[in-house]
Amino acid sequence: MNNSWLALLPLILLAGTALLLLVLEAFLKSEEKAYLGYIAAAALAGCGYTFVRFWNKQLSFFKGSLKFDNLSLLFGFLFLLAGLFVVLISLKYVSLVLTNIGEFYPLLLFGLAGLVIMATSANLLVIFLGLEVLSVSSYALAGLRLKEARSSEAALKYFLLGSFAGAFFVFGLALLFGASGSVEIPALAQSLAPGSPTARLGLAGLALVLAGLAFKIALVPFHMWTPDVYEGAPTPVAAFFSVGPKAAGFAVLLRLLSPYWKTGFRSGTMFWILYALAALTMVVANLAALRQTNVKRLLAYSSIAQAGYILVAVLAGDPEKLIFYLAVYVFMNLGAFAAISALGRRDTEFVELDDYAGLGFKYPWLGATLSIFLLSLAGFPPTAGFLAKFYVFSSAVRQGLTPLVIIGVLASLVSVYYYLKIIVFMYMRPPSREVEAGLQSPELFLVLFLCLYGVLQMGINPGNILALIRQAVATLP
Amino acid sequence: MPSLSLLVFLPLAGAVLLIFIPRDKEDLLRSLALAVAGLALVLALWLFLAFDEGQAGMQFVEHSRGWLGRGIDYHLGLDGISLLLVLLTAFLLPIALLSSWTSIRERVKEYLIFMLLLETGILGVFVSLNLFLFYVFWEAMLIPMYFLIGVWGGGRRVYATVKFVLFTMFGSLLMLVAIFVLYRQTGSLNLLDYYTLASSGNWLDPRLQVWLFLAFALAFAIKVPMFPFHTWLPDAHVEAPTAGSVILAAVLLKMGAYGFLRFALPLFPEAVPKFLPYLAALSVIGIIYGGAMALIQKDIKSLVAYSSVSHMGLVMLAIFALNPEGTVGALYQMINHGLSTGALFLMVGILHERSHTRLIKDYGGVSRQMPVFAAFFLICVLSSAGLPGLNGFVGEVLCLYGVFRASPLLAVLAVTTVILAAAYLLWMYRRVMHGPIVNPNIRLFKDLNLREIGLLLPIIILIFWMGVYPQTFLRKFDASVTQYIHQVTRRPPLLVRSGPPRPRPADKAANVQADFRPGGGGHE
Repeated sequence: MNNSWLALLPLILLAGTALLLLVLEAFLKSEEKAYLGYIAAAALAGCGYTFVRFWNKQLSFFKGSLKFDNLSLLFGFLFLLAGLFVVLISLKYVSLVLTNIGEFYPLLLFGLAGLVIMATSANLLVIFLGLEVLSVSSYALAGLRLKEARSSEAALKYFLLGSFAGAFFVFGLALLFGASGSVEIPALAQSLAPGSPTARLGLAGLALVLAGLAFKIALVPFHMWTPDVYEGAPTPVAAFFSVGPKAAGFAVLLRLLSPYWKTGFRSGTMFWILYALAALTMVVANLAALRQTNVKRLLAYSSIAQAGYILVAVLAGDPEKLIFYLAVYVFMNLGAFAAISALGRRDTEFVELDDYAGLGFKYPWLGATLSIFLLSLAGFPPTAGFLAKFYVFSSAVRQGLTPLVIIGVLASLVSVYYYLKIIVFMYMRPPSREVEAGLQSPELFLVLFLCLYGVLQMGINPGNILALIRQAVATLP
Repeated sequence: MPSLSLLVFLPLAGAVLLIFIPRDKEDLLRSLALAVAGLALVLALWLFLAFDEGQAGMQFVEHSRGWLGRGIDYHLGLDGISLLLVLLTAFLLPIALLSSWTSIRERVKEYLIFMLLLETGILGVFVSLNLFLFYVFWEAMLIPMYFLIGVWGGGRRVYATVKFVLFTMFGSLLMLVAIFVLYRQTGSLNLLDYYTLASSGNWLDPRLQVWLFLAFALAFAIKVPMFPFHTWLPDAHVEAPTAGSVILAAVLLKMGAYGFLRFALPLFPEAVPKFLPYLAALSVIGIIYGGAMALIQKDIKSLVAYSSVSHMGLVMLAIFALNPEGTVGALYQMINHGLSTGALFLMVGILHERSHTRLIKDYGGVSRQMPVFAAFFLICVLSSAGLPGLNGFVGEVLCLYGVFRASPLLAVLAVTTVILAAAYLLWMYRRVMHGPIVNPNIRLFKDLNLREIGLLLPIIILIFWMGVYPQTFLRKFDASVTQYIHQVTRRPPLLVRSGPPRPRPADKAANVQADFRPGGGGHE
């Protein structure tokens, strides 16, 4: 481990730029505020560059509380990519729909800093710190559409439920500390070993920590907030929620559970709790999504269901396939959200299914790319969504989880119906309302095409990315 | 030369090319798509001629290992079982494109793109030798079909297309789980490896085979479709645009039968005998049920659709006879059905273009206005009903003979297909073409134009050719079928009463038996 101040650089860059933007905003004229977005994008790019330079260097700081091993870097890179995409699709949205441009980018950057902290630490206390940084900025981001009552509702709901989840996490952390005398993940593993006197206490603590994470990841039954928050929050913010916190949650889960994979994970209580969570999540979320008529709510349930598939990879103990699925998910889900965030005009978003009637022919590129992302989410080849599901389910079958996989594929059959429903509206229904894609911008199309490239590249020739992921998971114990 | 890859991805390349052509240049778009499909046909014809009929194994093999992981290879090949299906696909695509030259007026660009994508998907299914690759094409093919029915289809198109996709996916997702299990057990997804393993005796646990067979059989039975999984078919066929119906009936249904021949039957030799009686029974029910339903249809298109259920029932029954005659007959009948039913759908489309109705009662006396059309229509109807001298007869006789050798009782029941087909087809023909002209619109009908004659004539010629001189085609699959029969009847199946099947001594195929190693004849 190289202990170095340098390790703080990415976090300083993110948080420092956020503060800078907050100050700058006061001095800029309103028409110049659009530049704030470009500055945020530049900061993200710079941060990404430091991550590239950190690769294979194993930098750490604060006595290993922050550890930039390859795994953290890969997750960090995913967050930054997601953040960059969100910034790019927000450029026009923020200036047209939101009244207060100044807060948006700083909050997003703080949120990203929280994500990076969560993925970078093996110390549960520090992880909690990251979780709170992320949460606080998320609550504010959800409520940014000041004139919309639903946006405020989303913020309040997220805040209340999120606080509970945070409390669970801390309480679990306290129990874990009591059981093992440490908050470091490797040390926890020993106290939880079967036969150790504090195993039960540790298990209770772990379950509570898990509940806190499941809230962020949005696993059933901790998902109640998701549809409401996605619906009320500005669309780019919902895009961020659907990707960032989920990926960070899985990063923590990966570190928390990987020590057990080799030692009796399959026989433990934890395994069956996760098994039930995965099955419930896949079934309930997909069934609930069937009845949605609001596209944002529909995608909210879809993102819950996707988390269920990813959890199958956790159960199979296959970090490589888990990260691959997450990477694919970032591209396809952000792509879908980017496309739907283009539909709207000043003060309005068009998010009802009826608004989508005939859109595919009115906006051919938006329609075609959105269709491909939806087909990828549904798991059709040759998109990456198929390959990701193929890898995860195949690896689960290899571990003997065939019943769970059968539940999974049947649940994904259900999902085909509602993903296709959006396509049905776009291409097979005559337009019924006056709808315009007033929020499209060149930057948004850049995001669409990058996501499209990612979804096809990872679907057809994922060799390089798999090799990268293999390097990253090699650092796991 | 990677000729198979070229054939499979040529239409895809054409589709990509079309994206960059402005949508208002419709004639250019149509001509380009037609040219691409024509080029694919030329390539397929070349493959047909270059195909060495003396060899039982895979030919034109392309194999690059470990594309997406251990055992997930890029692996293509062609044998006697897939050869004619590939040719049929490549043959019908240009015809389907021509048939929609004037009937598709809206969103021409997207339509052509989806047609070409569909061709890539179908061809890929027939030449894939790796289960992953096969599954990718099998599923990817759904997307263009989904759009073709859903955007350019009839009144209930959305219902029909979603039903089509959900039915197909239900089966194939369970098959995917079975593929995972195969992958777990063998560490490979290579079909030829499986063939070798399955014949080596060191293969899967028989109980596991039962489950895997069920999963594969369900996926393929839905696709064929076998009774009682057929309910998606009338909806999809009726609502699809003409070209979509043609491809659906002529090629897509064959993918199910092909799946049985290629995967479900050879891979699980110990499970197959347990299910043969049930599968045979379902096939017979399909034959009779499809025929009876066809009799009472008021809509010409759904009549043809139900006739497909009946005809595919016979094909499946002949496949389940597990003897050379039945299998050769089934393969031949698949091509016949593709040609005659494809042609029937084309002609229903031609009528629909003129009158905008598909109800039989709206017609009558059409032959007076359209004599050339009437002649073509009659030939296709008779071909579908199995008149001697036309292609359908050869196929049905082979199928029925194969079934008879396996079980005379089933053969007796299966013969009803001939009677029923004659009844519903000729009755429909009489009501549509003869009699007084009730509907005044019919007096305005124009006979076939040059384009329509041009697209029907090749099919008519083939119908005669295949009826009069079947050897051109039959000899292409003899060797592969002999080897296939050896694979699946390692243990005598329950259905076969007359002992293990003997290959017909007159056939050249008998000489090839020495090379029984599965896949051994290929260029690997």
